[in-house]
Amino acid sequence: MTALDDLLDGVVSDVDVVLLFSPSTSAFEPFEAAELPVVVVGSENTVDAEQFVELPLEFSDITGRIRFGLEGAVDQGLVTGEDTAVCVTEAFGDGIDTVMRVRADQFSRTGVYDLFVNSRAEPAVVRDVFEVCIELGKKGQKGKQVGALFVVGDAGKVMNKSRPLSYNPFEKSHVHVGDPIVNVMLKEFSRLDGAFVISDSGKIVSAYRYLEPSAEGVDIPKGLGARHMAAGAITRDTNAVGIVLSESDGMVRAFKGGELVLELDPEEY
Amino acid sequence: MQFDWPQFVRQVFSRETAVTVSVAILIVGLVIAYFAWRWVDSLLRAADVDTAVEGTPFERTAQSFGTSTVSIISQLTALFVYIAAIVLALNIAQLLDAQLFWAQLTGYLPRLFIAALAIVLGLVAGDKMALVVSDRLRSIKLPEAEIIPELVKYSVFYIAALLALSQIGVATNALLILLAAYAFGLVFLSGLAFKDLLAASAAGIYLLLVEPYAIGDKVEIDDKRGIVQEVDMFVTHIETDGEEYVIPNQRVMKSGIVRIRE
Repeated sequence: MTALDDLLDGVVSDVDVVLLFSPSTSAFEPFEAAELPVVVVGSENTVDAEQFVELPLEFSDITGRIRFGLEGAVDQGLVTGEDTAVCVTEAFGDGIDTVMRVRADQFSRTGVYDLFVNSRAEPAVVRDVFEVCIELGKKGQKGKQVGALFVVGDAGKVMNKSRPLSYNPFEKSHVHVGDPIVNVMLKEFSRLDGAFVISDSGKIVSAYRYLEPSAEGVDIPKGLGARHMAAGAITRDTNAVGIVLSESDGMVRAFKGGELVLELDPEEY
Repeated sequence: MQFDWPQFVRQVFSRETAVTVSVAILIVGLVIAYFAWRWVDSLLRAADVDTAVEGTPFERTAQSFGTSTVSIISQLTALFVYIAAIVLALNIAQLLDAQLFWAQLTGYLPRLFIAALAIVLGLVAGDKMALVVSDRLRSIKLPEAEIIPELVKYSVFYIAALLALSQIGVATNALLILLAAYAFGLVFLSGLAFKDLLAASAAGIYLLLVEPYAIGDKVEIDDKRGIVQEVDMFVTHIETDGEEYVIPNQRVMKSGIVRIRE
């Protein structure tokens, strides 16, 4: 067993910080007493940790989860760029089973954490829209794969840079995303053309919007369609976040500042 | 008490029979009391009172004495029924000459019962209200906010005590005046404190229902020109390049709205 012990020692030697992903109280307590700084990452701070990064989505993809946790920790100043972190998490959903050694500057920053926390819209609103997209991507509308485009935040400017394609079904309705009934409504309306516009506080301002931003200097991967281009362009022109469900490949992509920030496969959630 | 039952019974029966009848009343009263106990108990349990009062200090105290709020109330009812039966029996048998005393006692008993009930209900309701209010205020992490549930709790205790005292006939006028002053102060002060919020929300309801301007419109309100970003119950957010005005809704109503069309 010495070879195995050595291997594990090598993984955990000279680390600056430990990232615990959704630990149980019994798993967290021994770390709390230790000298090594500990950052808890999870959807809820169940163990009352001092240093905590909130996960907005249940990332089942492990690299996505670690990337988000680490970027969040760097953003909050809990981890500096040169630190080496050990991430303790579960990969197959049966308690902690994975220990991973990562350097904080090992991968380029994508701004995933930034997308949720430092957007104009409230983090909960961005998360709710993501959840609608993921659900829609999983099941489709009436068994058929659909596409959708949500523009979240900075609604005033977005409305000024777009025009209606038809009557707005959400006029004078005062409904907010995250409400289960509204989510069903959004799914029903997903067959409409155009974009959904959602305000900072989560109010659905309009559906059926044709976005008219200037597409200059928008740098998104080639091969993505008009919907993605529109989302990328509107986020460059305004402070909004664009969340797109692709009709062709079923992926959920998020844009901010004209750039692709996050790509998720709904089937993994 | 229009009809004098004991008098009627004494007229109909002889003295010996009256004693027998009163013994019978004692036994029947015992049975009725038992059924009242069972009935109130099951009624309260069916109405989920036992789960509703769970966690309140009164219930916990009752638990530590090996009983519960539900059984205390149902036993109280049974006790009341049984005491009423005893008084009736004694009256019929005329074992005691102090007629006046018993007549007063029969009038007094229901009030005593209600007073006891008011105390129990007040204690439970006060604790429950405090729990509910503090649950609502949990998101506000202010040490000062913790005084509000306590205030609610003792207000309910006070009213319960007032009810109980007035039932047993203690002069409660002074306490009532205190309560009135307290209620008035509360209403007056909160009206003063929430004046602006009330005005804003009244205007906000109009703005949300009629929607004279919507998100994305260019407007000028109160000499502030910009694009509407958000309208809620209390405020309207208007944004220009680099500046965001948060305007209370009553100001919107007061100054009027200029919609700008180019």
